[in-house]
Formats: sequence, structure tokens, C-alpha cells
Amino acid sequence: MSSGNLRVQKISGHAGPVAGEGTQRQEQVCKLIDTTTCIGCKACEVACMEWNDLPFGETVFDNTYQTMPETRWNYWNLIKFNEHPREDGSMQWLMRKDQCMHCADPGCLAACPADNAIVQYQNGIVDFQQEYCIGCQYCVTGCPFNIPKFNPQTKKMFKCTLCTDRVSQGLEPACIKACPTGCLHFGTKDDMKELAGARAQQLREHSGYANAGVYDPVGVGGTSVIYVLHDITNPEAYGGLPSDPRVPWAVRIWKQPLKWLGNLAMIGGLIGVTMHYLRFGPKKVKDDE
Amino acid sequence: MTNGWIDIKNTDMMLIIGGNPAENHPCGFKWPIEAKRQRNAKMIVVDPRFTRTAATADLFVQIRAGADIAFLGGMIRYAVENNRVAKDYLIHYTNAAFVVQEGFKLPEDGLFSGFDAAKGTYDRSSWSYEGVDRPGGLAYDLALENPRSVYQLLKQQYSRYTPEMVERITGIPKEQFLKAADLFTSIRKDGDMKKVATILYAVGFTHHSSATQTIRTAAILQLLLGNVGRAGGGVNALRGHSNIQGATDMAGVFDILPGYLKMPNPADTDFKAYLERITPKVAKPGPWESYNYWSNTNKFAVSLLKAMYGDAAKKENDWAFHYLPKIDRNYSWTEIWDGMYAGHVKGLLAFGMNGVAIGPNAQKNINALKKADWLVVCEIYPDETSEFWKSPGITTEEMKQINTTVYRLPGAGFAEKDGTFVNSARWLQWKSAALPLPGMAKLDQEILARIFLKVRELYKKEGGKFPDPVLNASWSYTDPHNPSLSEIAREINGRALADVTDPKLNQTIKAGQQLPGFAWLRDDGSTMSGNWLYCGSWTEAGAMMQRRGTEDPSGLGIYPNWGWSWPSNRRVLYNRASCDPAGVPWDPDRKQIWWNEAQQKWVGPDVPDFKADSPPKDHMGPFIMNYEGVGRLFVPLAGLADGPFPEHYEPAESPVANPLHPGQSTNPIAKKFHSDMDKLGTVAEGYNIVCTTYRLTEHYHYWTKNNPMNVQLMPEPFVELPAELADDLGLRGGEHIKVTSARGHYIAKAMVTRRIKPMTIDGKKVYQIGIPIHWGYRGIAEDEGKTALTPANMLSPAVTDPNAYTPEFKGFLVKVEKV
Amino acid sequence: MNDPILRYTLVERVMHWIAAVAFCYVLATGLAFYSPHLYWIATLLGGAPTSRFWHPWLGVVFAATLFWMLKAWLGDMRITPADRKWGDSMQHYIRNEDENLPPIDRFNIGQKYFFWGMLWAGIVLLLSGAVLWFPELIPWSLRGLRFAAVLLHVSSALITIGLFIIHVYMGTAVVRGGFTSIIRGEVSPAWARTHHRLWFQRVTGK
Repeated sequence: MSSGNLRVQKISGHAGPVAGEGTQRQEQVCKLIDTTTCIGCKACEVACMEWNDLPFGETVFDNTYQTMPETRWNYWNLIKFNEHPREDGSMQWLMRKDQCMHCADPGCLAACPADNAIVQYQNGIVDFQQEYCIGCQYCVTGCPFNIPKFNPQTKKMFKCTLCTDRVSQGLEPACIKACPTGCLHFGTKDDMKELAGARAQQLREHSGYANAGVYDPVGVGGTSVIYVLHDITNPEAYGGLPSDPRVPWAVRIWKQPLKWLGNLAMIGGLIGVTMHYLRFGPKKVKDDE
Repeated sequence: MTNGWIDIKNTDMMLIIGGNPAENHPCGFKWPIEAKRQRNAKMIVVDPRFTRTAATADLFVQIRAGADIAFLGGMIRYAVENNRVAKDYLIHYTNAAFVVQEGFKLPEDGLFSGFDAAKGTYDRSSWSYEGVDRPGGLAYDLALENPRSVYQLLKQQYSRYTPEMVERITGIPKEQFLKAADLFTSIRKDGDMKKVATILYAVGFTHHSSATQTIRTAAILQLLLGNVGRAGGGVNALRGHSNIQGATDMAGVFDILPGYLKMPNPADTDFKAYLERITPKVAKPGPWESYNYWSNTNKFAVSLLKAMYGDAAKKENDWAFHYLPKIDRNYSWTEIWDGMYAGHVKGLLAFGMNGVAIGPNAQKNINALKKADWLVVCEIYPDETSEFWKSPGITTEEMKQINTTVYRLPGAGFAEKDGTFVNSARWLQWKSAALPLPGMAKLDQEILARIFLKVRELYKKEGGKFPDPVLNASWSYTDPHNPSLSEIAREINGRALADVTDPKLNQTIKAGQQLPGFAWLRDDGSTMSGNWLYCGSWTEAGAMMQRRGTEDPSGLGIYPNWGWSWPSNRRVLYNRASCDPAGVPWDPDRKQIWWNEAQQKWVGPDVPDFKADSPPKDHMGPFIMNYEGVGRLFVPLAGLADGPFPEHYEPAESPVANPLHPGQSTNPIAKKFHSDMDKLGTVAEGYNIVCTTYRLTEHYHYWTKNNPMNVQLMPEPFVELPAELADDLGLRGGEHIKVTSARGHYIAKAMVTRRIKPMTIDGKKVYQIGIPIHWGYRGIAEDEGKTALTPANMLSPAVTDPNAYTPEFKGFLVKVEKV
Repeated sequence: MNDPILRYTLVERVMHWIAAVAFCYVLATGLAFYSPHLYWIATLLGGAPTSRFWHPWLGVVFAATLFWMLKAWLGDMRITPADRKWGDSMQHYIRNEDENLPPIDRFNIGQKYFFWGMLWAGIVLLLSGAVLWFPELIPWSLRGLRFAAVLLHVSSALITIGLFIIHVYMGTAVVRGGFTSIIRGEVSPAWARTHHRLWFQRVTGK
């Protein structure tokens, strides 16, 4: 994906310093999704397909209005529809636009072994660079939101780019542009948090949603996509939004203690055998006949 | 719409009933959301299904399809009983105080006075005010206590619509109904007039055999609450297509001419007789003043005839009035198909209209086309209509019997054409063509012009019974074979044919100049206009409909310099009613217009929909298109075919007898057809499930089934049914279900949902199901064999409303089985 | 009587070297994916996507040779009480005080531990590798499998790396003649007598 004037602050599988870190005055951008005003019209889905010129795929009726069960390598933006019964016998029809959350602490990037295949720009966008991707799909393992998807033809991973090409030119992402109800907003993280907070407060005070709140999970360092939910205590009801997403502990162990222990062990082993040779040397064959 | 899309943001309370704007008007739905976000407005959604609109509602109420009048009638009763009415508004701006003549009878037994059982129509002479011929004007009672006052009759009429009765008819539990009624009428708590409520509806109101009366009920409720004419209020029809409003304004209906002038009939022997018949005369009580704007009908009609026939329309020949066709009977949509099926309609020009699929009773339409001599279809895709001869189930032998000649014309898509759309808010907005015409496609006007010129050539050559109207039709376009739409738009606006002077304004419009507004229209042949309502849309100052000004000084979303709205760029109709009788806005925070004593005229950010210099003390009614000058709670005389007050009638096919009057269960004058294909089903025959048809966000009518993007979003047809019914049938989501009505059947995958709940109607358990209509036998899924190839409208009945002739696509009976 | 003794048949040597080459490849590419500091190895080996493509295939080859070895050497690799006794004196072996060790058969217990270690780690690598090879087939609800796979794959790989270091060191630097034996298959009688006296006696009858 074209990165325009964006500079990179984190690189996957990278040894050494990161070129763009701290070299640019850049505010964190953020997409705000107010699920309480989403009408499931799928304009964002179409805008995503259109802007990115994604090829069509086959879908099958599945007893739901939802276009497909989950995002695909060529379908990065999917509204999840969930019928949610309430205690008073009434129901809610929850609609949530699902896409990459652009975590501040991205599990995909942590898990990725390929130098430069996943980058995080200074504005917070986490972007896949398919030309460097090796198709190992470790990013799937690292992602707590089930976002990266594998293209079996090209053996590359794809996901929402947060319209890097548009954002780098000062435009809002295509999904935001297409949203008819103003359920989607785009701006700086601070502004979006304020807007989201005010909306959640309005929902608590005027719409009878006592648990309305803002979803900006700390477990992944906050995200560049935040939600206003009717009920912040039950994000799972919105099509499996994890209540406390974190980079999986397996990835953490693998990429940190296990790696350093392994490095130590390997280097220790090499030093050990060298020391052994210096101290004892080779065995002698006794010719006692 | 009385108001407009953006204006919805000004409301405090929304009742969305008979419409599903989140799904079918997603762009417009930003304004209801905006009202919620900016004003904490409340939203009540009433629908047979829990829709995507319901998903954003504060209160959702599930209603049985076809029971809206009962629900709204109950609301009227609730408002009256709880004194949540706008008293001053009611007295001054409606006919509540008018007295109805003796001999008028309310429909306790299901029939108003004057019913002629033999003819199946009403003699409407008893539906009249008292004192029509009295010199002092109509009788009235400002105390609203006269038992024959409109208000007392209204109260009596709806006294039968108790919460218990509402529950029996609609299936809405009493407590839930009371909750909705309390919430909606809460804006008039304690006589407060500041708050405003709006009612938004769409084809969920109109697809019924009592469609017009359903809309009327909403209008009565809004008049009672004083919500009409006010920012954030009104009765708002959410039109279903981008330009359906324009189509209606330009007489895309058989019984009107452009600008809602009535079509002449054979009794109109000359122009004078015609004008006499169609021009209303003021009738009002003494203390009221009435502008009666339709008194200018003569000017509109002469200007229209001048636009149609040019120099051939002269004073001496009655402005060529005799050129106009005179309609002797109903030529509405279903009549055309019935006539074709009966063999006397020989040909059809289906222009951007997939007649087979849009039904109702689609098989009858298919069979009708088999009897026609010719069919011309102008489309952008092969459609069900142009391929009726290979509709599902037909054999090769049967195909050989069809002698209909089918012509397909390559039409252009909306993005390939320029021109105007007139939206629900009555805004004319010009659009440019975005794409070149593909292949052999031609612009609509070129196709029509070429047909017209060819026909004219034939008339010229061969004569014919009456060639004059065709030969003399005004056709003075720069390129007669392909007139530009801007040229046509200018013609519709109208221009002066001779110098026209307004002595009051001391202003003259020179001959040949565009007219600035319909006040300039004359009945002496010095002006022409294709549609008086659009006069002012393309003036000497330029194309008002092309304006893109984004200023909104009032903050009310009026945007006076964006596009142009009829009439006269007024954004909210009847906006005089936004002020109290003294001319002061009911709500100082939402000031649309007001009386300026110093200037002696009405001023404000909106254009006054009123006589601009009529002072409040003159007590002129704000509803200037009614000859009484006031809003009609009671519609006198010829206004409506089926009653001056709305009454709940069951749909033509109903699971129960009307609990109000089982002896007269259905609308006594709803139009039914009697061909061998027009069958109605009954519960006794096993048709015990209420079926409603609807549309999805993901598709546009029968068109986007050809677009892979839309097909990906919603790939296959389905039938939505309650989980409880699915359990009864042993059916799981994704399995096939067969839906059968008395007219046909439909097979699709089942969408099993908790969003439709079983209902109790008059003590009886009733299931409702829903079918989206978007599929047929030509399209991507169809061609891939993923559908059963039968249009959903094979199920629906051709029973129509007696006023607007809209078929009952919603609330008919079916039976279902697992396939 | 100083004729060389055949220690490894041609088949055994081929088997070993297939395993060795496959292991080195998966080791090198695996290390490239393991650490950004070693990612250059993948570049050297034809690029990271290529490495990612061949790594699982060579892993399968390695695992296959492991089973082949199991079949060939199962008898030789059984750990006997004599091995344990020898194992108790391991410190003498490490200190090159081989004269203090009891005689041993064809393989000592260290070699046997190496064999079994490689085999079991190889099985774990194979199974976890299969998950990592086709993660797109693992549904989201079973994502725990992927977590287990990455951890097991890395852990067992580290075990094999440790074993590999010792194996190469012992076979080349410490036990001179060992490397030649896995290339040419032969050892001198003295070598055999010194390091695997029981085996020497068994095959020579002395």
C-alpha cells in the first residue's frame, strides 16, 4: 500500500533502529464507530470494496443479513449483525462494523517474522506491506480480533489499511466518507475519544443505556478504531468483540522470554563446547593391541 | 413530504410507521439520527418486523400488517381523552369547529352514510358542512361542543378505538400501545406547544386497500397535536425512488395533468365547464379568511395548454382544450393489466418499469402480455417483463402460442443521464451525467422524441381520427430528435409569451423571458408553463435547481440557496401554522416565519407558504390549498372515496373478521378484479399466515440483482419467518420454504428469526412472515440457478385502494410448508 | 589385522546425510524466522517467501528420515542397563577419562539420548509445524491450537538445536574418526575398541 508521506514507527521482524521513529510531528488518527447509530446499510462495505478495487467473492445465504461470516482477504470491512434478547423480553439488533482495529500494540506486528511486512505509521495505522509478506500467517496468531486474512493464490496476508493512501493525503477513509448516518467519524484520537465519551454520556443520560461506554481496549495499548457500545460490559454480544483483547500470551512468551532464553541457550551451547574443547580436547584412541 | 429530509433533525419525537427508512432511505435516515443525537429526540418504530430502523429506535412496537389505522385511531383517542391536543391550533387552523350537516352518519356498522350497495360506491352528498349555502358562511362552534362539530364527531368516531380494541386489531399488547401513545403525545403534555413531533411513512402505508385513509389518520393525528407546518413536524412521505416525487408532479399518474391539475373527463364539454368543475370555491365560516390558492387554476391550466400546444392554443379555440384526452374511467396501473388480460389493451410501452415483477399478481401480468400484440421494453438489463415469454413453468408448446412482438430498447442508466431528481422534500436537484452512454444506449428523451416524431410523421402522412393534438404539439427544441433536458426544464418552468406586467410590484417580464414564479402565470395566453408548481425553478437568473449554496443562516436546515423546492422554494409547507394566531412562532428557538408588524408582511428564513401580506387579524387559514383555508380533520364531499374520517378495515385477505364490525370487515369500495386469475384466499382454505412484502438496503428493486456488488451483499432470495413458526414446520434457517397464496407460490430459503414474533389478533394466534421482493427469473443468482425463478409478487393480490389505486402488496394471506 | 571395520552401511550414511541436510535447511530458515537478527539467512537462501515455502517441505523430509532411522536403528537404540551404568560414569567421558568407563556397544547412551531426543522433538515439530503450515484451516474458535503450535515448535526446535550442537561437536571435534565414519562408513579397529568395545567384540568376534 502506498504510504504517501507517512513515516514508520514500528516494523515487524526488524533488527536495528526504525527509520521513521520520532522523525515526524504526527498525531494519532482514529476511527470512531458509534454502534448505536449504525443501521447496517453496508455502505462502508461497498465503499471499501470500491476504493480498494477488491475483487468480488461468492457469498451464500446464511440465515442472516450479514454479508459473510467473517472478513476475507478481499473483504476487509464487514458489519456483524447480532440479535440480542434483552431481559424485558424485547430485543436489540446489534450491528458492528468489523475491521482492523489498528492497535497501538499490534499483536500481528509482534508475531510477524518478516522484516517490513507489517509496519505501524506514526499516526497509528498498522499496515501490511504485501511485497515483504512471507505468508506465514503468524499475524493471525498475534491478532486478538481475527483480522488478517490469507490469500491462498498469492500467499500474502491482507486486511484493512485504514485507507493509508487516502489518509496520507489528508482524506478520511473510504468507509467514513460513505457512512450515511454519521455513525462513523474520523479524526485525531483525542478528538474521537472526546466525541465518543460525550455520545456515551448522552446514551447513559437520555437513552436509557446505563452501561453505554467507549471501547478502546487497554490490553492492546488502545486502538485507532474505537467503538461506542450500548453496553460496554458485554462487547461479546457485538459479534465476538473481545472484552479484554490482548496480544495472546503465547505470542508474548514466544517473542520475548522464550526468544531470549533460546538465544542464551544457543550461544551458551556454542561457548560450552568451545570451552570443553579448549579444556579437554579430542579423545585419544588407544591402540592397546 | 410537508417538510423535508433535513428538517427531520428539528424534531423532538418521531413516529416511523409504514416505513423502514434505515433500510430504504439510509441516506435520509441521517436526519432522524441527527435529531436523536442533537436534540435527544425519541423514536418510535411501528412495523410488522423488527427492522434495521427498529434497531435504532427508543421504542419498537410490532404491529400486524394492515392495522395502521387502528393503531393511529387509538392514538387519536388517547390524545383527545388525555387532553394532549393543540387547542388553539385545532380551533384556528383546522376544521375542528366546523359543523357537519345533519344526515351524516359515522361508520359504527362499517358504513358511512350514503352507501350504495348496488354500485359499491358512496353518495357523498351527506359528507358536508352545515351552512354551505348560508350567506354568513359555514356553521361553527368555537367551544367545540356542538355534537355535530367536526371535533365531537372525531371524538365519537375514535371513541371505539380503545386500547383493548387496538390490541384486538393490531396485536399490540395494551400496555405497549399505551406506552407508545403516551410517549408520542407527551409533546403536548400540559398544553405545551414548543415541542414538535413528526410522522414518517412510506409504502407500508400505501400498499393497502385503505392506503389513503391510513395517511389521513396520520394527518389527523398531526393536526390534533398541532404538528403540521412546523419545523420538525409534518406528515412525511418517504418516497421510494430518487425521482418518484418528480414523476407524480409531472403527472405520471393517469388522472392528473402536470401540477396536480385534474384530468378532463367526457362531461367537460368545454374549457369553461372543465374549469368550473376543477376550481374549488371558497366555503368557510364567517370569521375565517381563505386564500384558496386553487382559485388560480385557470392560469395554471391555460399556461399548461400553451406549453403543450404553443400557437395552436388560442383563446378562440379554448386554448386547444379539445386536444386533451378525456378520461372516461379508471386507467390506473392494475386496470391496464386487467384490460390487457381481458384482451382490449393491445400494446404496452414499459419504460424503466418491470411490470411483471412489480406485480401484483405477477402471473396474471405474464398471461396478460401473452395476449398483447406488442410490447416495447426500454431497460438497461434484460428483465422479467421483456422475457415474460420464457417465464418459469412455460413449455415450448405454450411458447409457440405467444404472438406478442417484443421490442427491446437500450435505455440509459441514471448515472449516464443529466437532468433533475425531485426528492421527497420536493427539492429539484440537477445532476450531471457521470458516465458516457454505453454501447447503443440512448437517452430517454431521444428514444421518446424519435417515437413521437415518427408517430407525428405517420399522422401527417396518413391522417387518422384526430391528428391535430399530435401535429400541433409544441416541439420547438434545438435538436428535435434529442432535446436537451435543460431546454425542457426551462420549458417546464415557463416563460412570458408577451410582456407581462405586475402593477403591484411595478415590474415587467419581457416576452421570451423565463418566469420568476407562478404568481406571474396568466390566463390570457401571455404565459406558458409546463408545470405551474415548477415555475421559478429555472428563471432569468439561471437554473435555480442547479444551485449549490450551503448557507443556512437559521440553522434549521432550510438551505434556501441549495437547489430549489416547489412551491416557490418553500421548504416547509403550511409554515404559517408554525406561528400562533397572532403570528408569533410557537417555539422561539425554531422560527421559520413570523408576522412583521412594521413591514406588514410575513418574514423569516423560509418562504412564507401564505399570502405574504395577510395580517393575523384577518384570520386567514394557513392551509391555503384547501378552500376552507384550514386543515381537514373531516374531509368533505368529493375529497375521498371511502369516507370523510378514516375507519379501520381489514385487508382484502385477513386472518380475522374486523373486530369493529365483522359484518363489514373490509373496505367496502376497495377495487377488486374479477378475472379467473384474481382469487382471494381465506382462513378456511388454509391461508392463515399474514404475509408482507418489502425491500432491502442491499438491493434496488429488480435491478441490482444484475450487479455483482449487490449480489455479493445479499446473494439469494429468502423468506423471513418467526422462529416459533419454523419450529412448527420443523424448518431450520437456510432450508427451503414454500409460500402459497390463492394466486401462486414462492420458494426460497428460510430466514428464521426472533425479529418477528407471533401475534394474538382478536384472541387468535397469528403468524406474520415477510418476503423481500428483489428477485425474479433474470439476474446473476437467477441465471446461476440459485432461485426458484418466481417473482414474489406471484403471491400478492390485485386489490387496490379506492383513492390512489395502489395495490395491497402488504398484509395478504398465505400458507407455508417446508420443501 | 588392522583392517577397517564397517560401522555405517551406505544406506545408513545416505539416511544420515539426508536428515542432516534437511535439518540444516530447516535450522537455517527457522532461525531466520526466529530472529530478526538472523533474517538475512533467508535472504541468502533465496528470499524469505522461498524459505517459508520450502521450510515445511524440508521439515517433512527431516521427519521422514527420523522414522526411517527409527526403523533402521530401533534395535541399536534401546537403552540397556549397561548403558545406564555407563551413563553413571558420564563425567569420565566428558573429561576424556575413557579408561574409567565400562565397555559399551555400538552406541553409547549419549548417542541414544540424542537419537530419541531428535525423534520426539521431531514429532512435536512435525505436528506443530502442520498447524503452522496451514493456519488458514484452523477456525477462529480453535485458535488455541495455533498458540500451542508456536510455543511447541519453537521450544522443540531449541531442543534440537542444543542436541545438534553437541552432536556435531562430538562427532567432529571430540571423537576423531567419527566424522569419517559417517562419510566413508569405516572405523579403525582401535577406534572401535576404544569407543565401542562391546560392539567391536561383537562384530570381530575378538
